[in-house]
Amino acid sequence: MKYFRLVLRSLFRSKRRTILTVLFLAVSVFLIATLQSILATLDGFANNPNASNRIAVRHKVSLTNMLPLRYADWIRQQSEVEGVMALQWFGGIYQDPSNFFPNFAADPEPIIRIFKEEITDYSEAEWRDFLRDRNGCIVGEALAKKYGWRVGDVIPLQGTIFPINPRLNLRGIYRSKRTTDEQAMYFHYKLLEEGVPFMKGRVGSFWVRAKHPDDVPRLIERIDRHFSDAAEPTLSETENAFQLAFLKMMGDLATIIHSITGAVLVAILIVSANTMAMAIRERTTEVAVFRAMGFTGSQMLGILMAEGILLALMGGLSGLGLAWLAAGALRTGVGTVIPWLTDFTIPVDTMLFCLHVTMGLGILSTFIPAYRVVRRPIVEGLRAL
Amino acid sequence: MAADAIISCHAVAKSYWRGTLEIPVLQGLDLEIPRGGYYALMGPSGSGKTTLLNLIAGIDRPTGGTLEVCGYELNDLDDDQLAGWRSQHVGFIFQNYNLVPVLNAFENVELPLLLTGLSRRERREKVLEALALVNLTDRMENYPRQLSGGQEQRVAIARAIVTDPDLLVADEPTGALDAKNAEEVMALLERLNAELGKTILMVTHDPKAAHHARIQIHLEKGVLDRTVEVNR
Ligand SMILES: Nc1ncnc2c1ncn2[C@@H]1O[C@H](COP(=O)(O)OP(=O)(O)OP(=O)(O)O)[C@@H](O)[C@H]1O
Ligand SMILES: [Mg+2]
Repeated sequence: MKYFRLVLRSLFRSKRRTILTVLFLAVSVFLIATLQSILATLDGFANNPNASNRIAVRHKVSLTNMLPLRYADWIRQQSEVEGVMALQWFGGIYQDPSNFFPNFAADPEPIIRIFKEEITDYSEAEWRDFLRDRNGCIVGEALAKKYGWRVGDVIPLQGTIFPINPRLNLRGIYRSKRTTDEQAMYFHYKLLEEGVPFMKGRVGSFWVRAKHPDDVPRLIERIDRHFSDAAEPTLSETENAFQLAFLKMMGDLATIIHSITGAVLVAILIVSANTMAMAIRERTTEVAVFRAMGFTGSQMLGILMAEGILLALMGGLSGLGLAWLAAGALRTGVGTVIPWLTDFTIPVDTMLFCLHVTMGLGILSTFIPAYRVVRRPIVEGLRAL
Repeated sequence: MAADAIISCHAVAKSYWRGTLEIPVLQGLDLEIPRGGYYALMGPSGSGKTTLLNLIAGIDRPTGGTLEVCGYELNDLDDDQLAGWRSQHVGFIFQNYNLVPVLNAFENVELPLLLTGLSRRERREKVLEALALVNLTDRMENYPRQLSGGQEQRVAIARAIVTDPDLLVADEPTGALDAKNAEEVMALLERLNAELGKTILMVTHDPKAAHHARIQIHLEKGVLDRTVEVNR
């Protein structure tokens, strides 16, 4: 502890160099932490463990082709099926296009069964009110809070894909374990079907819940085979695969993010190695003076290493601080537009990774020059002026 | 060896190697310095003065012979033991002061005390005492760049004596100072010798500085050539 002041002062011997290095480290760590966290968030989104027994069934040709609603009847009869729900992305706007949130037309009864893991808490009375009211809707609590909605409010939606502007009665507010899952609105499928002639008896997708995750592959195969010769063939996939298709670029993204991380790490190593080498080399004489006074080689090595580690730590922590602030801004700013970013944080694992890596690079870049200067004979160090 | 000798060198040899070519610097040198002595080591440039001083101060190793300094046979100590020995017995004064630029005068003087088990308060007491001795108490907050050369050297002297070592070694301590400041530093060293009984071994080119010592020894071609007692 008594060496701390010495270490700190020595570190700021050349203020500009130290500050620039810390800034560089901070920006690098910020970049790594943010990119890795985005990757972790998307990964979590596409590998939702809750989704393991859900199947999305859509038209084989594309997401915008519709399937006959009656397909649900056949699917429901399969022994492995726990529930089927017609679900249509409505894409309605509330007041202003910037007020984005996902809203769906859905078969009302199965919603809570299909989304059992997401809709974890709701009032039975509100749920019954919703089922009874053809113009009713339910929303997640986070979404309701955002717009200050209360049960009983009328929420006007303006259709963008479909030519109707429903005025929905808010009948219920549900809660989820994660706020990401509290961002959506569901209203009665009938409303869409009756308001839009070309949607009569048709739907964009079915969400099927299997009784057991092990049944999923068999069920997918059976559904697609059954409808393969129909006029409207299906394409079924696990919910996660469906999300993945939605985030098609994810695979490439991971490669890109890992390459950027690697490149940044190499840059950090080069820059900090250079800084420490310069900082230590110009102190050759000083190290010799310390040792003449009686400091041992290992004590000097310790002091120099402490400097390098402290420098790395300052850079790493500021970078994580920046990333943390940015994550907050991203949650409030972009989170409502891109729903899976509403829970965006820097995971503890990513933080630890960044800290370990910066410390490791700090140690690595300091050790070599420090070891070299400490090994030099004292008399040579004193002569080197 | 004489009972009161603090330094006794016997057949000390030191060579440097340039490739396969041996460059002998010291060749079988004998020297005894009594406790409390004040010696000036003189001689032409390249005669090996610094080399000898470094051997006696335990920051270099001889290629032959033995050195017994402050009661220890230096050849018997390993590098870490030698470092511990230096921290207790030897104070260094350099031509270029060699203060740490990022520490103020107080902190510079405190440095050698960090190696002791002293508490913060005890360290502070000792530092203030040393600074008072060199008459720089009022400058203790100043950084080296805010001090004159003479003041810097006095801070360096305070740093050298703060652990109360028996032996002070100084290599050209006035080499970078003007006449007035040199005079001040020499007066200070004289006081340390006379009042605190420090043994001082000082390398110098400057006859005026050498005149402050009690005894002048001359090094020539690797051996001690003559010893002159200074009459005052
Ligand atoms: N590391 C070294 N490698 C090779 N030769 C060296 C080394 N150090 C010193 N020498 C040589 O040893 C001799 C004595 O050097 P030293 O520094 O002891 O002389 P000095 O008497 O202190 O001279 P000066 O008065 O110029 O300081 C010189 O010839 C020098 O070139
Ligand atoms: Mg010399």
